[in-house]
Amino acid sequence: MSAEATAVSVSRPPLAAAALAWVFPGLGHFYLGRRRLGIAFAAIVTATFLLGILFQGRLYSIEPGQPLTILATFAVYGAGLLNIVARMISENAGGTILSPTYEYGCAFLLTAGLMNLLLVLDAWDIASGTKP
Amino acid sequence: MIVLFPVDHFLIMTLYAFLASAFFALLWRRERRERWKLFATLMVSLVLGGLAVAWLMYPFPK
Repeated sequence: MSAEATAVSVSRPPLAAAALAWVFPGLGHFYLGRRRLGIAFAAIVTATFLLGILFQGRLYSIEPGQPLTILATFAVYGAGLLNIVARMISENAGGTILSPTYEYGCAFLLTAGLMNLLLVLDAWDIASGTKP
Repeated sequence: MIVLFPVDHFLIMTLYAFLASAFFALLWRRERRERWKLFATLMVSLVLGGLAVAWLMYPFPK
């Protein structure tokens, strides 16, 4: 059994752990004392998100008459600060639809957001004692 | 962008498979050995599954 697996999580409020997990990938786990795991999650989710940007994917926003954009926007906003900062500094938040990697970029961005939402739930479960 | 990353569908698919496999192996398993096992299973499944789907779609025109 690894050191991480035997580590006892620090007792913290679930809401704070979940909120921090949303703000930045892995921060919730770091807050709960699972530092190595938090760093690994941060690296994976951040890499996925940055590759999405590099592949010129789209940071979705809700569009009238396009109900699926509601789900996509929810997914992308799951990436927390990464998404917000990317929107602020990017001159091309809508992506480049003519780029050959556009669809890949969208998939990477959506996946990064959904991964982070899973981390939010995981941090909540660990903090509330549901998950050991 | 193209200079940094050649548009290679297989490379991008493998990269995606690697990140997704690593994420779920860390999320779903706690022991090191179990994590490696799940990582390998997911990685092989995603890459071979992707190749299988691509092969099945090959006869279809654009």
